[in-house]
Amino acid sequence: MTDLADPGLYSAGIPHSVFADLRSQPGLHRNEGPVDFWSVTRLADLVEVSRDTATYSSEVGHIQIYDIDEDALDARASMIDLDPPVHTVLRRLVSSAFTPRHVQGYRQAIRDRVIACLDRLEAARGGDWVDLVAAPIPIGVICDLMGVPEADHGYMIELSDHLVAGTSSEPLSPDAYGNTTELRLLPFNSPAAHGISEYARQLGDKRRAQPADDLISELIAAEVDGERLTDEQFANFFRLMIFAGNETTRSAMAHLALHLTQFPAEFDRVRHDGELLAGAAEEVIRYSSPILYFRRTATREVELSGTTIAAGEKVVMWYAAANFDDATFDEPLRFDVGRPKQPANVAFGGGGAHFCLGASLARLELEILIDEILERGLRLELDGEPTYVDSNFVNGIEHLPVRVM
Amino acid sequence: MAVRVQVNAEVCMGIGQCEMLEPDVFELDDDGIAHVAEGATVTEERAQELIARCPSGAITIASP
Ligand code: HEM
Repeated sequence: MTDLADPGLYSAGIPHSVFADLRSQPGLHRNEGPVDFWSVTRLADLVEVSRDTATYSSEVGHIQIYDIDEDALDARASMIDLDPPVHTVLRRLVSSAFTPRHVQGYRQAIRDRVIACLDRLEAARGGDWVDLVAAPIPIGVICDLMGVPEADHGYMIELSDHLVAGTSSEPLSPDAYGNTTELRLLPFNSPAAHGISEYARQLGDKRRAQPADDLISELIAAEVDGERLTDEQFANFFRLMIFAGNETTRSAMAHLALHLTQFPAEFDRVRHDGELLAGAAEEVIRYSSPILYFRRTATREVELSGTTIAAGEKVVMWYAAANFDDATFDEPLRFDVGRPKQPANVAFGGGGAHFCLGASLARLELEILIDEILERGLRLELDGEPTYVDSNFVNGIEHLPVRVM
Repeated sequence: MAVRVQVNAEVCMGIGQCEMLEPDVFELDDDGIAHVAEGATVTEERAQELIARCPSGAITIASP
């Protein structure tokens, strides 16, 4: 029996044949291994779970497969692991900065970053695509938005690399970054999470003294029910944005380089028809499915797809499986920049309260990167094998050596 | 047939997909929630598309 929680299953990307097999079987798949949970692999089922936050909670247990203690949940709580109504209040503090219309305002700043990174890659005739392009662009963009000074971007990359197991090669000692908190209380059990919180606190203090036109200053001033965010709420907010806005988009951009080398004819279509640009970005996102899953916990007994889920049981939504569901997508394993907009893929979530806050921003970043690559006629070839992040949660690429042809 | 659409303010997550698709019908306000312009209508077919594409599941057709 396949244990879907085993990170080794994802060591060469998405295990398509395993997921295809699970999708074809009636009901939900019961994972029995070191940890028990139900797996949702069909898109229609996933959307049903995703949109019903009352039945499928993000707040109970954990949104990752392994449960963590109550006090650890409290310590790390941010919008992504809270249910409405608290979730809604926190999310609305920042949502207006991320609407499709609003993110258009970041277009030039994103393009400047993309140009600088591609210039560097071309000047060196290649190198590690992740280090040179996929990592610096998203962190740069989200740091700009938050108001993290340019000089600290490298530090943010370093910290967020440590957050996902395996993204960084150097293991950290428990007291790294001056950490004194028990590791189990920290997100990803990583002292780097402490580092990010500490940094947030310091930056918050600076903006409190001298507000600027950035999201940090807005959050510092924001009120919920007439009260300011606590230091902890604020730090958790900051950490969520740095992680969510960074790792995921980096992964999509890393996969883009693979797609460019594997499916050049599809990108030629975009070169000849600019209308296909948005479709190309969306297909990169579907095909890479940077987040493999999020988990919910059933708050009551419920039936889904013929399976009875008991109250308290774990339900795992495998985005990376649903995005290749042939009941929804024609020839799902084909990379096709011309797919219709509907039905939508679920790389940003299946809809409902937690739908990715940064979806429009991530799409825009990818569009601009693809556009700039095509504009300058950049042709890449692989200069070695990609190494995947050792994780059952993200479909990340650690290193991707490329040569500019 | 032209129909009116409405947004459930409790459910709207302010993602702004609707505003992008129909800027004359929807506007996101400072409260971060989509609002429908006075008297705005869309075809029933378009309404179904808007409903399907709202990630929050907040849009419905208003009863006439
Ligand atoms: C290709 C890039 C990205 C992918 C694949 C992605 C994927 C996801 C997924 C799957 C979720 C959970 C959805 C759910 O539970 O229904 C999510 C939530 C979230 N994402 Fe993204 N994301 C990306 C980029 C970004 C960016 C650039 C930001 C920057 C702000 C961001 C911020 C967030 C936040 C704050 C949440 C939590 C929202 C909530 O709980 O209400 N994401 N994302």
